[in-house]
Amino acid sequence: MSGAPHAGEAFPDLDLPDHTGRPRTLSELAAGDPLLLLFSRGWWCPKEQRHLRELSRLQDEMEVAYSRMVVVSTDPPEVQSAFRAGLGARYTFLSDSERRWLTHLDLLEETDTQHRPYRPTAFTLQPDLTVHRRYDGYWYWGRPSVEDVRRDLREISEIVREDFRR
Amino acid sequence: MTAWVSVTDRGFTVGRGAGLQAMIDPRCLEGTPVAGATATVCVAASATQALRFDEPEVQQARRDFMEHRATFLGEDLVCVTTLALDESRCAGAITVTRGPVTGRDDPFARLFPPRAFSTDAFCVVAPPAGPVVERYVGVPWPGGRFPPHPQVRLEP
Repeated sequence: MSGAPHAGEAFPDLDLPDHTGRPRTLSELAAGDPLLLLFSRGWWCPKEQRHLRELSRLQDEMEVAYSRMVVVSTDPPEVQSAFRAGLGARYTFLSDSERRWLTHLDLLEETDTQHRPYRPTAFTLQPDLTVHRRYDGYWYWGRPSVEDVRRDLREISEIVREDFRR
Repeated sequence: MTAWVSVTDRGFTVGRGAGLQAMIDPRCLEGTPVAGATATVCVAASATQALRFDEPEVQQARRDFMEHRATFLGEDLVCVTTLALDESRCAGAITVTRGPVTGRDDPFARLFPPRAFSTDAFCVVAPPAGPVVERYVGVPWPGGRFPPHPQVRLEP
């Protein structure tokens, strides 16, 4: 049983260095917007490369739609920076190279004893870090698609933007 | 709160004064100032040369800042703010860094010519989480945020 929260529960306010090494918190990064939070195996995983390349298609929409995206992996910041540049990503990567939150959230990928990475898991969060929907992505089709993310961000925006419906 | 800078051929001053007056992200002045920083000022020669924030070249400069510039600067980045003349016109940007940094790689230098000045006026403001570029109209990027929803707890 994973220690990571489920829908309706509060997600912990992660405190980790970003891809530049600057200390960040999840609530600071959310900054009042709906948030897509992805726990990723790392740059070396072909599934992660494919999935993040797919979700990066949403960047242009997200940046004008007041939504955020954050990726957490166990890669060190300098590796994340290179991976991020290769993706053409403008979103933030958080580095849990010490696996501090990985342990707390009980999201260890147990089948990979070499890298000891995160088990692919995604969350759509309200601005206060309440989990809207959780995706267990051990199997690739369990991960959120672009359509899933667009639906979730619409639903969250409807909840938190008082003037969403006029 | 609105914060201003005034830019002339000789440099810039915080506040409203001689030269081109533009609004900046007020958070850049609200913390402990970083001494001996460098401000790379990319600014229009006059208000008539300002661009609309919606122009593709302005949007792309902000995207490139998020994608490349902020990453390469890392901890050397103190803060960044666009220069807003009003709710729609962008007169450039100021990027504040620790130590001397060339403005050649500044994406805003594609919009307006860069000049570097030593400054003690600005504080650290972390770059925003991506990929947001749009915020309130009239609030210089990357500043501004929505007020908390009554049901939303922003501060733990």
